[in-house]
Amino acid sequence: MAPQEVIYGKTDYKLLKEQFVLKGIPSSAGIALGNAIVLQPESLISPSVKIPTEEISNELLKFEKAHTNLVHQFMQSLHKVRSLGSNVIAILETNLLILTDPILYDGIRNKIKDGFSVESAIVSEFDNQRKFFLNASDALLQERANEIDNIKRKLLASLKDQSIDYENCQHSIVVAQTLTTTDIVNFKEAGILAIVTEVGGITSHAAILSRSFDIPAVIGVHDATDIIPNGSELIVDGFAGIVVVKPKEDIREVYLQKIEALEEHKRNLGALAKLPSETLDGKRISLLGNVNFLDDVRSGEINGADGYGLVRSENLVMELKGFPDEETQYKWYREICERAYPKPVTIRVFDLGSDKYVEGLPIKEFNPALGLRGIRFLLSRQDIFKTQLRALLRASMNKNLKIMLPMITSLHEVELSRKILEMCKNELQQEGVLFDNLIPLGVMIETPAAAVISDGLAKVADFFSIGTNDLTQYTLAADRNNELVSDIFDDFHPSVLRLIDFIIKTAHKNGITVSICGELAGHAAATQLLVGMDVDELSVAPSLLLELKNRVRSLTYSEAKLIAEDILNSNDYFEVRKKLEKAIGRHSVAEINEI
Amino acid sequence: MVEKLVKVVNRSGIHTRPAASIVKLASKFKSEIYLIRDKFAINGKSIIGVMTLAAEQGSEIKVRAEGPDEQEAVDEIVKLFESGFGEI
Repeated sequence: MAPQEVIYGKTDYKLLKEQFVLKGIPSSAGIALGNAIVLQPESLISPSVKIPTEEISNELLKFEKAHTNLVHQFMQSLHKVRSLGSNVIAILETNLLILTDPILYDGIRNKIKDGFSVESAIVSEFDNQRKFFLNASDALLQERANEIDNIKRKLLASLKDQSIDYENCQHSIVVAQTLTTTDIVNFKEAGILAIVTEVGGITSHAAILSRSFDIPAVIGVHDATDIIPNGSELIVDGFAGIVVVKPKEDIREVYLQKIEALEEHKRNLGALAKLPSETLDGKRISLLGNVNFLDDVRSGEINGADGYGLVRSENLVMELKGFPDEETQYKWYREICERAYPKPVTIRVFDLGSDKYVEGLPIKEFNPALGLRGIRFLLSRQDIFKTQLRALLRASMNKNLKIMLPMITSLHEVELSRKILEMCKNELQQEGVLFDNLIPLGVMIETPAAAVISDGLAKVADFFSIGTNDLTQYTLAADRNNELVSDIFDDFHPSVLRLIDFIIKTAHKNGITVSICGELAGHAAATQLLVGMDVDELSVAPSLLLELKNRVRSLTYSEAKLIAEDILNSNDYFEVRKKLEKAIGRHSVAEINEI
Repeated sequence: MVEKLVKVVNRSGIHTRPAASIVKLASKFKSEIYLIRDKFAINGKSIIGVMTLAAEQGSEIKVRAEGPDEQEAVDEIVKLFESGFGEI
């Protein structure tokens, strides 16, 4: 268990010889033990330090050298991330454009020529520009202010020639106020063990990157760079979100064992990647990866994905903050399909509603979950829908792409979508473009309506995919983001389980396959149940694939079938839980929840 | 000097990505390039300038270029605006 003592208030931590524990936000899972490299934030530099006239030319030279070095560093990082996909590249490119901005560059030089020290000039010019952004009414622009700050800090660091010595970071834990994407790429190359930062959101670029690099990270640790002495021993627990500074011998021992167990576990799981996903009595279940970013395909590959069951194409829209043109979409889809080839890829068309801010969507709805979202939105904006279908068709030429429609409630929506798809095919044919003429068109079953009419839907759709999150929310009439009803939202509710069972049976009767792509698919307590219910495919975050395969490979289909039958006969979720607990053995479902 | 008036047609206006496209394009030309809005002129090669322009959909911007390739510069930049930065 995690050490409980957390110190609050104004203690002079640096004087503490003994262990103390800092609490932050767990941002990337994993545990690491190592020595801290504390990157000191730039102490307050006065923007008005004057220098003697004879030093001006020397000061200018210092600035130019630091600037050139940093531009060079950025270029190198850009080169390194080429393979990481467009989002990372775009961030770095923008940073580079800011660094080389003529207003800033000339502004700093002029300030120095006026007799200010190079540090003062940098601080005052950057802060001037930053003010513009902070005062902007646009939240997006305000965010940019942080990026400008980051670049300022790097420029000052480069000036002091104390730019981070990445070579010496191996087996260390980096403690910083904040880190840029460039920093993280470089640290990763240098082989750091973990990251601790003072600021940063769970969804910030840096946090996402540390997760995709599998580097344990705890963020939001207040005053970390002030409190943690450079070189001190640290334990970073990315599961619990805590940092243990100067750990006591017993705590250290506990964590060493945890690290050992994690590594052992990873080694064992790693060996599973190449083994087939089948039960002890030989029943095959395809295990697929969900894809948010291009990188997830590589991660799926490493974790032995049999394909990709849910590519959330709306991420492209969110990332670009607008609807991308056909060419941009085509390139993204093709890249995913090529990386996955010959494994199948299911791309879900834009699943957007007014709860996501994107220009072109309805401004605000009273109840977005029940509003113009998913297929409803696309059918109301057929220009956007057609562009996407054309891009998808063009990316389908290797015949490993399937299209999936979200938020379906009627046959009409599927038929209309198919008609539009056929129109796009005709257009492309006339343009002489190659595509998969038999591209499968599937339907997400995520509304009770779709579940109930699945018999009809199975005749117009080529496959089903059950989105358990929405299916649960709509079946139980409980908003999944509303804490007041979070006890009602339960994807193990017998009504949800029976609907899933009904959908699978109907699909199989009609000769089509069913995959499950909601949270339930990756839930440790659900695997046996879902296999027993005859699901064909499970699609989960790539990082969950090996654990999932491990569970599939250690269960027996014939036994799972009996258990599923028993559980489906429950009348309330207490009964479901009790039966699940019994079936899974010594673990309670609650405990499994925590794994 | 060449000038042309252009309208921001893409729905989300000039946010970071279009700003980056404008600056990258403008930097290819030798001419001085300005974007002028409400008598407020900014350097078209400065991403900070272009971003702080905060031009929303429908706003009118004057593109001005002065230098050896001014005609080509204005034409290309106007074309980028009219294409909606590939967001339409």
